[in-house]
Amino acid sequence: MVRADLHRSKGQGVFRANCSTRSWDQEPPQWNLIPLHCMLGGVLRSLAPGRSPTPGLILGLIITLAAVVAYSGYITFQISGLRELQNNLVDRNRKDSLQLLRIQNDLNSLGLAMRDMLDADEPYPLTAWSAQFQRVRADLNDALRLEEKVAVTTRTPEQRQYLTDSVAQFWDAADRTFALARDGKEKEARAQIRLSLQARQAALNTAVARLLVQNNESEEQAALRIRQIYDRVGRQVYLFLGATLIAIVLTSLYLIRSNRHLFAQLAALSEQRSELAQKLISTQESTLRYISRELHDEFGQILTAVGAMLGRAGNHAPEGSPLRAELREVCEIAQTTLDNVRSLSQALHPVMLDESGLESTLDWYIPTVERQAGIDISYEKSGTPFFVDGHAAIHVYRVLQEALNNVTRHSGAREAWVRLQFMPESLQLEVEDHGSGFELQAVKQGIGLVAMRERAELLGGTIEFLKPHSGGSLVRLKIPREKSDTHAE
Amino acid sequence: MNRRSFLQGLAGLAATSGLGSLKAFSQTPNPGFKLVDVTARAGLQFRHNSGAYGGKLLPETLGAGCAFLDYDRDGWQDILLLNGMDWPGHKRQRSTLRLYRNNRNGRFSDVTRRAGLDIEMYGMGVAVGDYNNDGYPDILITCVGQNRLFKNTGKGTFVDVTKASGLGGRSGFSTSALWFDFDRDGLLDLFICNYVKWSAEHDVFCSLDGKHKSYCTPEAYRGETCWLFHNRGNGTFEDVTATSGIFDSSSKSLGVAMLDYDQDGWPDLLVANDTQPNKLYRNLHNGTFKDVAVDAGIAFSAEGKARAGMGVDVADFDNSGTAGVAITNFDNEMIGLYRPSATGTYADVAAQSGVGLPSKDKLGFGCVFLDADLDGSLDLVSVNGHIDDTVRNVRNIGYAQSPQLFLNNSKGVFRDIASEIGSEFVQPKVGRGLAYGDFDGDGDLDILMTTNNGPAFLFRNDQVAGTRSVRVRLVGKKSNRDAIGASVRIFHGGTSQSRLVKGGSSYLSQSELPVTFGVGKRDRVDRLVIRWPSGPTEEYKDLATGRSYECVEAKGIKTLITF
Repeated sequence: MVRADLHRSKGQGVFRANCSTRSWDQEPPQWNLIPLHCMLGGVLRSLAPGRSPTPGLILGLIITLAAVVAYSGYITFQISGLRELQNNLVDRNRKDSLQLLRIQNDLNSLGLAMRDMLDADEPYPLTAWSAQFQRVRADLNDALRLEEKVAVTTRTPEQRQYLTDSVAQFWDAADRTFALARDGKEKEARAQIRLSLQARQAALNTAVARLLVQNNESEEQAALRIRQIYDRVGRQVYLFLGATLIAIVLTSLYLIRSNRHLFAQLAALSEQRSELAQKLISTQESTLRYISRELHDEFGQILTAVGAMLGRAGNHAPEGSPLRAELREVCEIAQTTLDNVRSLSQALHPVMLDESGLESTLDWYIPTVERQAGIDISYEKSGTPFFVDGHAAIHVYRVLQEALNNVTRHSGAREAWVRLQFMPESLQLEVEDHGSGFELQAVKQGIGLVAMRERAELLGGTIEFLKPHSGGSLVRLKIPREKSDTHAE
Repeated sequence: MNRRSFLQGLAGLAATSGLGSLKAFSQTPNPGFKLVDVTARAGLQFRHNSGAYGGKLLPETLGAGCAFLDYDRDGWQDILLLNGMDWPGHKRQRSTLRLYRNNRNGRFSDVTRRAGLDIEMYGMGVAVGDYNNDGYPDILITCVGQNRLFKNTGKGTFVDVTKASGLGGRSGFSTSALWFDFDRDGLLDLFICNYVKWSAEHDVFCSLDGKHKSYCTPEAYRGETCWLFHNRGNGTFEDVTATSGIFDSSSKSLGVAMLDYDQDGWPDLLVANDTQPNKLYRNLHNGTFKDVAVDAGIAFSAEGKARAGMGVDVADFDNSGTAGVAITNFDNEMIGLYRPSATGTYADVAAQSGVGLPSKDKLGFGCVFLDADLDGSLDLVSVNGHIDDTVRNVRNIGYAQSPQLFLNNSKGVFRDIASEIGSEFVQPKVGRGLAYGDFDGDGDLDILMTTNNGPAFLFRNDQVAGTRSVRVRLVGKKSNRDAIGASVRIFHGGTSQSRLVKGGSSYLSQSELPVTFGVGKRDRVDRLVIRWPSGPTEEYKDLATGRSYECVEAKGIKTLITF
């Protein structure tokens, strides 16, 4: 069960409340207002939490993350495949083709040189071409060496061997040709060129051309594979995007449904909470009114009777005797106790509200606050007064009490304005100050504003927390006239 | 292209776009000289005849060369302008080469007929050298057809000794040529470039539109070997093309320059080939050569492509003591500017040096290194012009193109200042031949250029910054008389410059043989060191600048003129 300790602040007539779960047998409590949040906390804790969407969302998140990770892995795999294709096949193929073209160029140079040698329109012996052949040979050997390094993996050992053998045979034939030419056997050398060298050069050219074609085919195949990878990745991208879209839609639908459910729960909870709060407030006011009346009527009469009896007993005691003096002292204590009881009764529930009405109670209460809190309060009444019964008046009184409490405790203002307006259709109470305003007060004051709103709702009215042009705060309570007399508890 | 090359390229771009050059040239905004067109004033009334009649024959695109030579040995540079002729069956005019004698007053006299050179031939290139060591320069004219060797009689006339020298009976499509003493026997040998196997009868039909004939590119023709002739010393030459290792039937050569690539004192050769790899023939000291162009990194462009090499020159343009190379190429190929390294290889620094980009839309032919502003750093001149007069119809470049003069800021950055040295030089021309020489004896280098089917131009160099030079003319005794192959080096203020006495270079042309050093405003140079082709080295100290010296091998030095 929730309890509250109420501590009356010295000389200020206001209360601080702390929620606790102390047992009844500790120090005797002074009952007055039970803070609303103490009651609501228990109420909210007692409400069922309902089904949480979090597990579903976490599951969705895990699925999405898993899909992203899986897709990233897939893409990485495809990219590495592409890179491998690029490095091992396309780039290598290109470099190999460049070297093959260089070889082909060298072979063509040799072909042209051999044509010139056979044309015999130069006035030089065939040995003149020796240096030219050596230059081409050096370049050809270099090209062949590089080509072997970058040759594509599809090259068979037979092809490699054929190229190596063919080149060796060509140079062997060339050396024999130049040897013949050096020996002055130009005719035989020319025949050697025609029959052997040119044929070998042509065969080499064909072999190199075939390798180039093969490279070209490999390149086309690689290009095809690359295209396929791109197509596959493209399809996967669309699939992934589609799946992601569906996941997002499903998650969103689930989230919307969950949110609706949550909002509905929240609305129900809020309604229950409000209802409960209002019942608690009503119960609290009934209890306080009962205690106040009991204090006032029962203890007041008893103490009045005790005082009267003590007075009479004192009169029977001899004049100047110690007994008479002690009886007078006890009588004074009884009177003081009676005053305190009446004061406490008034604080718990001003009896005036029931007996003299709201207007008179405020006439008494405002100067009391002014005196106790040390602030100037300008009180204005306007309109044609109408009757406000005790049940409604206590809530108006409590709102005023809370509003002025806020002014004195939180606003820092030294001046306040209270306006009570009897309007044809409603009763309006305004409490205004030019202090720190609601933003700061709300933080400090917390549940008080909530309680005021609940009381306004109990009366079927409205309460506004406004900021005047000159700064500070303005609390405006407005209740319908019909509720001021016939409101329901 | 690696990152370094790219960054270097960017640096070159910055240099050419003015960012780098602003800083580099901030102290010399004025080039300090002007090139004044004195062609008419000098009396050079010449017009090249390519023989073009509409047949679109390949030789018509190549133009002809020019030379500065002192044929009468009076100490003043004379001028030789080569000419083509009308094709057989399309005779319209008579055209011959022109020899102009320097009148020593800024004017020239046409002495062609008097000199016995009034002979029609389809002349292409020229190589001037005293092959018989008689003290008078002889002339080899390369031709489409039979090349001609003219011996200088020493009496102001020339005699055609083609047949007698053993050079006859050789028909070809010869281009550049040079005299050099490859076996260092004191006799000048002859190297001749040949372009392609071509004859009017076997001209290939090429067409841009499929209907009308246009000029073919060299790919349409078979290559032709260069020729090397050894001077026997008796007035005759021996063809050593085959035995020397020069023979290469795939070559399509247009330019040749002499250099000492490996610094061994033996002359090597660099041949610029059109659409074929360039050749660097290293002299093996035994009468044979080995092509090391691929290993040296000069055969191909940085992209591994054989460019259309046209003209070539070799010089110590960074004053490192080792010669760098410039090769002009087709448009969109840039000039190749090669800087030598200690390992015997070349790096193409055209882009980062500021030469690449400005030359990208030029089709370059003649090119020479010369110290145009006499500041001590060799500058580069190239003449440009397209081969196809209808190129404007298909591409946004002109047939006539501006010559370029790249000023060297001594820090490896060049800037084209052609437009800043007078309005005449920069006028677009269909440039082909290019040579330099000090025709007016004022110590700076003047420029002679030819155009295809157009006039020749003589530009006088007028120094306005007060810079000075030292000119040296060498006379060989044990070495060949022209001292071709001699290395000359001057030292001053902790720096040095080197020159090689050489024929050939450029395109179809030859510059004067005396070497010129720009020394800025210095009054003296500390040392002059000559390494003669025969081997000995001579050194002369504390020489005054602003003079032209003559140095005779093993005899000493004397002042010829003061300017």
